[in-house]
Amino acid sequence: MRRKLIPLLVIMILSAGAAFALAFAIEWLPEQASVQGKRIDQVIWLTVVICVVVFAIVAAASVYAVVKFRAKPGDEEDGPPLHGHTGLEITWTAIPTALVTLIAVWSGIVVVQNDRLPEGSRVILVEARQFAWGFEYPELGGIRTGELFLPVNQPVELRMTSPDVIHAFWVPEWRQKQDVVPGITTFYRITPTKEGIFPIVCTELCGLGHSVMRNQVNVMSEEAFEGWLAEQRAGVDAGGTDLGLRVFANQGCAGCHALAEAGASGAGGPDLDSVLPGQSAEQIRESIMTPDATISEGFSSGFMPSYSQLPDEQVEALVGFLLGAAGGSSG
Amino acid sequence: MSTHAGLEHAHATHAPPPPAGPRLRQAGWLKAAWWTPLSFGIATALVTGIRWSAHWNPVWDLDVLLVAWTVIVPLGFLHGLGAFDYWLYWISGRPTRLEDHSDHGANSWRDYFRVNTDHKVIGVQYVVTTIFFFLIAGLMAMFMRAELARPDSQFVDPNGFNGLTSVHATLMIFLFVVPVFAGLGNYVIPLMIGATDMAFPKLNALSYWLLPIAGLIIVASFLLPGGAFSAGWTNYAPLATQQPDSNLMFQMGVQWAGASSILTALNFLVTIITMRAPGMTFWRLPLLVWANFTTSTLVILATPFIAGSQFLLLMDRVMHTNFFEVAAGGYVVGYQHIFWFYSHPAVYIMLLPGFGIVSEVLSTFSRKPIFGYRLMALSLVAILILGFSVWAHHMFVSGMASWLRIPMMVTTLLIAVPTGIKVFSWLATLWEGKIHFKTPMLWALGFVSMFVIGGLSGIMLGSVPVDQHTSDTYFVVAHIHYVLFGGSVFTIFAGIYYWFPKMTGRMYSETLGKWHFWLTMVSFNVAFFAQHWVGLQGMPRRVADYDPVFADWNMLSSIGSFVLGASTLLFVYNMIVSWRTGEVAGSNPWRALTIEWLVSSPPSKFNFDDIPQVVGGPYEYGVPGARHAVLNGARVLTREEGHAASGVPH
Repeated sequence: MRRKLIPLLVIMILSAGAAFALAFAIEWLPEQASVQGKRIDQVIWLTVVICVVVFAIVAAASVYAVVKFRAKPGDEEDGPPLHGHTGLEITWTAIPTALVTLIAVWSGIVVVQNDRLPEGSRVILVEARQFAWGFEYPELGGIRTGELFLPVNQPVELRMTSPDVIHAFWVPEWRQKQDVVPGITTFYRITPTKEGIFPIVCTELCGLGHSVMRNQVNVMSEEAFEGWLAEQRAGVDAGGTDLGLRVFANQGCAGCHALAEAGASGAGGPDLDSVLPGQSAEQIRESIMTPDATISEGFSSGFMPSYSQLPDEQVEALVGFLLGAAGGSSG
Repeated sequence: MSTHAGLEHAHATHAPPPPAGPRLRQAGWLKAAWWTPLSFGIATALVTGIRWSAHWNPVWDLDVLLVAWTVIVPLGFLHGLGAFDYWLYWISGRPTRLEDHSDHGANSWRDYFRVNTDHKVIGVQYVVTTIFFFLIAGLMAMFMRAELARPDSQFVDPNGFNGLTSVHATLMIFLFVVPVFAGLGNYVIPLMIGATDMAFPKLNALSYWLLPIAGLIIVASFLLPGGAFSAGWTNYAPLATQQPDSNLMFQMGVQWAGASSILTALNFLVTIITMRAPGMTFWRLPLLVWANFTTSTLVILATPFIAGSQFLLLMDRVMHTNFFEVAAGGYVVGYQHIFWFYSHPAVYIMLLPGFGIVSEVLSTFSRKPIFGYRLMALSLVAILILGFSVWAHHMFVSGMASWLRIPMMVTTLLIAVPTGIKVFSWLATLWEGKIHFKTPMLWALGFVSMFVIGGLSGIMLGSVPVDQHTSDTYFVVAHIHYVLFGGSVFTIFAGIYYWFPKMTGRMYSETLGKWHFWLTMVSFNVAFFAQHWVGLQGMPRRVADYDPVFADWNMLSSIGSFVLGASTLLFVYNMIVSWRTGEVAGSNPWRALTIEWLVSSPPSKFNFDDIPQVVGGPYEYGVPGARHAVLNGARVLTREEGHAASGVPH
């Protein structure tokens, strides 16, 4: 037996080495940028280490067996009639049980920690709709933005709803993910730890525009965030913001469309800076109410939902704003 | 119903009674050819007639019509083919046709195209039909990978892409992996347990013919206005209820496939419980039979749930109920609970029969008994029981009751234990064996290595925090393909190559078989391994377009998948040519011990001249003189006598 064990151990160490090298030499995960994500990464690496060890044992045993026990040409004999070994069978039942218990306990602890709502969390309401994200800051009196802005190192709770189908909110750098479900409110608790711009990805198939339902979150220093807040508040207080611009932001148009006037850079739908010039108010209204009536070249029908449920006043304001934006950019 | 009694007189066949009535009224394709349009007309008239007389507008309502067509037209077609004849005669009090076995066995290729009650013919019908749908669904995968090779939209629009994704998965699951195992099981289970046929041959014939119907309904959804159903094979509400009419084709196609699956499972269970040859105790059953026994239990208990989930969707759409209509108080997460209560056990429905195949193949080609036979059988039962307590691990981020995540995580992780037992026991079976690297053995070994990767990524997904990052990303796409392709499909190829000589009486080309294996093994890994990385980095699944940073890895995946597709053609070529011109196989080319190898290849119409006598375990390799079963009352040594005679320690 010992003569078999030594080469077996050598293969096992070699394959474990190769698997560990594969696991650790490659950047498997994106940058880690949240408190909760750090805990999740610990579980990921715990499971990776356990999996690599199990893989190495299996790989070594199979490679050794395949090389060592191949029948010689013409050998028609049977192998020895080994029907089982109680000790071995107990071992390979007990050890995996212990390992998965370890994973389960650690994971359970992380779930409980990550579910906990930290003191003083800021609340932001998130609406996911086909195929755009809208963010509402209660302290801004209901003003909505098409992009998410957050201060670093401050816990936040996103309360998420959907008016149409199921979407999912995922920021890969934060690790956490949560479905956004029509009819119920779901919660996403996160404490960002790094400043920067990170992608927001919808991961639940939500229709034709699913693959372009991307957005981004701006995590900024506390001062910068306060500055941004003040800017937004000023706009609200003065009542100065154009109603059309507000509708544009509230409805998440920026998720799919680029428009310099609104600071929008969405890429899923037609670039409004290039398709708007020359359009009449009637044509713009039609594109909002029945988007499939006329489709810009390179885009397909069924993508953009109709906004006919908007109050007339808001539609007219939006049309007016878009007309102005078109005029501005063309001349 | 009883075939056993009839088979006693199997060889005293009466000449079939002279056909009564004109040919148009005889069961067969001609009758089906006029019953199909007739039932189409009946369905159309029924719906439009009722709507017209009730003043419902519009009279021509495609939603309702599609339901009526997909229910009534298949029934008309099956009636024309004669699938219900025996029962209809019996119900209507007419004398049932004398059981003359004229619908049993195959004397020419034509016999494969009719309602045939021979389990061997049905087995071949199943395998060939399912491979046909495997090729179609594989072709759809090629289209998807061609679109995904570069970011942005090239030649399929998002609607077409979502349709391809949905139909690809639906066909692969419901028309290939689940039923191909029913086909292989149909062929070998009666032979392995020493039975002359399945318990309910007419039901068996019917359950096969339901399958192409399901396939045609699903594929036909491409022809409807708005394109194929495109809410994924999971068909989550409320996206599903928002879809064009073609979504009904998924909802109804699944009903036919599910019915087929349930009928076969019922047949397997009754056959295995009641028709084992004398001496075939449960602890002497080959593991393939154990595997199908547990699988059939899963099918019967779980399949009604997916049928129910799709009926609820259908009622929401057609009858305006509000199960998942949020505005009326519907609960959309409820859909997912019902759906996954089937669809998680379905993963084991697609794996356990493969575990059985691999156990047969590994034992035969290592010339050794299966290591830990009883624990291997018990671990199948453990997976069966645990399999029903893990469904919500597909819903860790779904917004379901949050406490439910913890118990579901614990049971999910625990399933790794019986699965681990199987893997370790397979490795121990190889140990000290005399391994022959024939094609089936290569697939079985390939399966063990690929399935271990899929199983380990499954453990990662089973942990809630890991799943929060990886759920609905390409990591999951990689995981399911390692489990269902590297797992299930590898075992299917192992099984087909292993029993090909038994089914056809001819050998396949070993050279082509090995080329097929190695090409598949390499291209499969090229296609799917990098998807783990892409998913972890941030690429969601089911997207027609993606962040350009993932472009190179997607290109690699696409290249791998094209080679994978091409390698399948080698398999098809090998099967067709070898079936016609392969070397004659003989009854037992692998020198295996289970009963199917004791009879000729292919076996005679009723399998055995005499019911075999089972005298020992199925894997007594290396035990001198030991036999699993004997025919014609021959006297052999039992395992204990064999040990005693040779002095080999037990």
